[in-house]
Amino acid sequence: MPVFNFNPLTLNKIKRFKSIRRGYYSFIIFTLLVLLSCAAEMLVNSRALVVAYQGQWYFPTYGDIIPGTQLGFEYEYETNYRVLKKRLQGSDSGFVLLPPIPYNPYETDLKNNQFPPFPPSFEDQHYLGTDTIGRDVAARLVYGFRTAIFFSLILLVVSYLIGVSIGAAMGYFGGLFDLLFQRIIEIWSNIPFLYVIMIVSSIMIPNFYTLIAIILVFGWIQMTWYMRTVTYKEKAREYVMAARALGASHKRVIFNHILPNTISIIVTFIPFSIANGIIALTSLDYLGFGLPAPTPSWGELLSQGSNNLESVWIVSSVIVAMTVILVMVTFIGEAIREAFDPKKHTTYE
Amino acid sequence: MSAYLRSLSSSILLLMFSMSALLANAELPANINWLTNDEDPVYASPEAVKGGTLKSVLLSFPLTLRYVGPDSNGGFRSAILGNQMSLVVTHPNTYKLLPSLATHWAYSDDNKTMYFRLNPKARWSDGKPVTPDDFAFTLEFMRSKEIVAPWYNTYYSEEVGEVVIYDAHTFSVSSAKPRPRNELASHVALNPTPRHFYKDLTGYVQKYNWEVEPNTGAYQISEIKKGKSITFSRKKDWWAQDLKYYKNRFNVDKVRYTVIRDMNLAWEHFKKGNLDMFGITQPVYWHEKATGDIFDQGYVHKLWFYNESPQYSSGLWLNQDNPILKDYNVRLGIAHSFNIEKVNQQVLRGDYERKHNIHSGFGAFTNPDIRSREFDLEKANMYFEKAGWGERGGDGIRVKDGQRLSLAVTYGVDDHTPRLVVLKEEFKRAGLELNLRKMDSAASFKSVLEKNHEIWWGALGGGRWPQYWGQFHSVNAHKPQTNNITNTDDPEMDRLIEAYRSAMSTEQRVKLAHQLQQLIHEQSAWIPSLDVPYERIAYWRWIRLPEVPGTRIGGTGLSPFDFNGSFDTSDGGLFWIDSKMKKETEAARKKDKTFPAVTRIDDTYKVKN
Repeated sequence: MPVFNFNPLTLNKIKRFKSIRRGYYSFIIFTLLVLLSCAAEMLVNSRALVVAYQGQWYFPTYGDIIPGTQLGFEYEYETNYRVLKKRLQGSDSGFVLLPPIPYNPYETDLKNNQFPPFPPSFEDQHYLGTDTIGRDVAARLVYGFRTAIFFSLILLVVSYLIGVSIGAAMGYFGGLFDLLFQRIIEIWSNIPFLYVIMIVSSIMIPNFYTLIAIILVFGWIQMTWYMRTVTYKEKAREYVMAARALGASHKRVIFNHILPNTISIIVTFIPFSIANGIIALTSLDYLGFGLPAPTPSWGELLSQGSNNLESVWIVSSVIVAMTVILVMVTFIGEAIREAFDPKKHTTYE
Repeated sequence: MSAYLRSLSSSILLLMFSMSALLANAELPANINWLTNDEDPVYASPEAVKGGTLKSVLLSFPLTLRYVGPDSNGGFRSAILGNQMSLVVTHPNTYKLLPSLATHWAYSDDNKTMYFRLNPKARWSDGKPVTPDDFAFTLEFMRSKEIVAPWYNTYYSEEVGEVVIYDAHTFSVSSAKPRPRNELASHVALNPTPRHFYKDLTGYVQKYNWEVEPNTGAYQISEIKKGKSITFSRKKDWWAQDLKYYKNRFNVDKVRYTVIRDMNLAWEHFKKGNLDMFGITQPVYWHEKATGDIFDQGYVHKLWFYNESPQYSSGLWLNQDNPILKDYNVRLGIAHSFNIEKVNQQVLRGDYERKHNIHSGFGAFTNPDIRSREFDLEKANMYFEKAGWGERGGDGIRVKDGQRLSLAVTYGVDDHTPRLVVLKEEFKRAGLELNLRKMDSAASFKSVLEKNHEIWWGALGGGRWPQYWGQFHSVNAHKPQTNNITNTDDPEMDRLIEAYRSAMSTEQRVKLAHQLQQLIHEQSAWIPSLDVPYERIAYWRWIRLPEVPGTRIGGTGLSPFDFNGSFDTSDGGLFWIDSKMKKETEAARKKDKTFPAVTRIDDTYKVKN
């Protein structure tokens, strides 16, 4: 038995989506990147993947730190595995396997008589160089991506939940409820939301979730208009009337009957909302009103880069990364829109 | 109705003030000992020539031309006040008093009053003579509710006493409390305020928002393009231009401030020659941005000028009301795990200097024997263990009774994030987690004044003499809106501070200041960070400077006007523009002709440690 029981129309859409090559491949690469970023600790980290030391095996990636004293150093803070690797090289008392990029996004790799930012160097394994205080740009890009994408996804889910529910209710119930919410939304959307965020985040220190909450306060609006319109349209159709006649509750009619028929609208907007979420977080970080330092973030890298144009590797890394991600998301969005285009097929005759 | 009442009451007040001035009608004390100074060396260059326009930058257009009241505390305020002369000023190298609007001054025996003899030549920019009544008006003005400046209202009511007029050029200004002689002048040497200009202060904030007040200094605002630029022009027959200490200064004809809203953009303008000079104290400017063509070709010169101005008390301020920081050993542990030297050496290029004393740069007042605690993880470990924080959790952070050794540092300057990020990683090695709380600078300071902080990364200061009462006396501890940021509450400290405040001789004050600094060092609630005892600038080669290109307290002579923070010194306008060199340079740039590169390091006033 198949796990998913798609109806032929959905299968048709998926087929169309697959046939749009650049959207489909973007989707695969993008999904892969998101999945990989979940395992970023194993790819980009100062902690070793495997340490064999005096017959003992250690897997330091996750969990508690291993103090230097345990691995033959004199200090009590976390072992520096890069130093340990050098020390164990050529000896037979053990070995260290480091991730491909052996730096975490917080540590500052400073040198004597040389001053950051350091240019890209294969020897030091700073493949994209370091930022102005010696942190690895590649590490910060990867962890910054993870933050941005999950920020964006959570924001998307919550704001769509609110936006879709309110929008559908407005379209479905109409009348005073609709009128009231229309005015509320009009007033609400006239508040300059960027300023509000700036003011709020200058008074309190936003963290990941409070920042989502702040953006959410204004971010749910967009979906309501679209949902209101399509619900209005759907409500007048016979199947709604039939459901009502059978005694279905309002909730059931909205969520079980109308919503599936408007899903194409929602799905079409998703990729663009993801892009917007990334851009919102990045611009807030760029302006210094986003996540608190030293959280790795693209906006912070971008602002460092634009203040240090001489160190071109900072600004170019983050711009390339952003462009690639946003272009991919746009490709996916286009493909979805194409696949769900009601002109190609309709969900009812 | 209420507006009418208000104006009525203010005119009654005005009447009372003028009456009190008239009634005073006092006689000058008999044995008055008039002092003046024309013996100290001049610090302007006799080679200076007049002419040219200095092109300077404003990062934002000022919100007002007033220098008190709402929105007046911006950067442009110093340009306005820089052209307002005071009764006496301080020599920026010898720190002795110099004549300015007053030719002579004298002290009363009770250390409260100074007598002044006004220079009869002193004129406002509108040609009217400066009179003693203009100084009496300063008090009325600053005490008026109409200016909407509570700080000034309080200061001029509680710190400054009264103006008593004796004749057309002689008057006295008293202080509300006795002060040592060297500090008295900075409280009672007032700036005049033109009574004839302010007929009625009602609605001052709006009415005078864009009015150009007559002034007594070398320049006056001559052109305002709203949002774009402000130009000052030199007065052709400035009354003070031949006075000994004002001669050969304030040389350029015009000073034009253009608004360029971005620092990076301003730097590009400077490199194009659209600005004449640029402050490059920050290491990244001095070492990286200020290199390349125009510097190698000798068109632009670099100057590193050491000065001896009182340093800000920058460092970590630990809130001793915090249950963790209350522990003396924790504070010592933090001091020994504070690796500021790494920040200095590896991020700031070793350009800054480790601060040792809360009051460094105060000359004799600085206790030279105090050395800040060095970064030493073993010592830190020892102190943390003594305080019961010996055990470390799974993440390497110390724990005690289930609580993690985690503290938040509040700060308000974006540029300092890199420094704190490095420090955070260093503290982690000592088993202390430091969370960064970056806030908007006003909001962060407010939260600190409310004592909501655990650690504050910041600086206080700005005075000519060390002050302790506000920051360390127990009456200011454990309550909001005071400067006792460490919540220091120590009877011995209180005793010394009270003695310091009532001591009138310099020797005694120096001795007490040294003891207080030692005590502050011992309690370790304030941990010193870095000093920047110099100023670095880049300027096009047609800008010429005296042989010693600056002053001891004021820094480089590249400020076009006089005002320099609250040091009461007269150190501006020492440079001049050499029009011949300007033409020569511009011609040379077209033909790619070069000059020898110049990087000047002047350590005339460097404090030897």
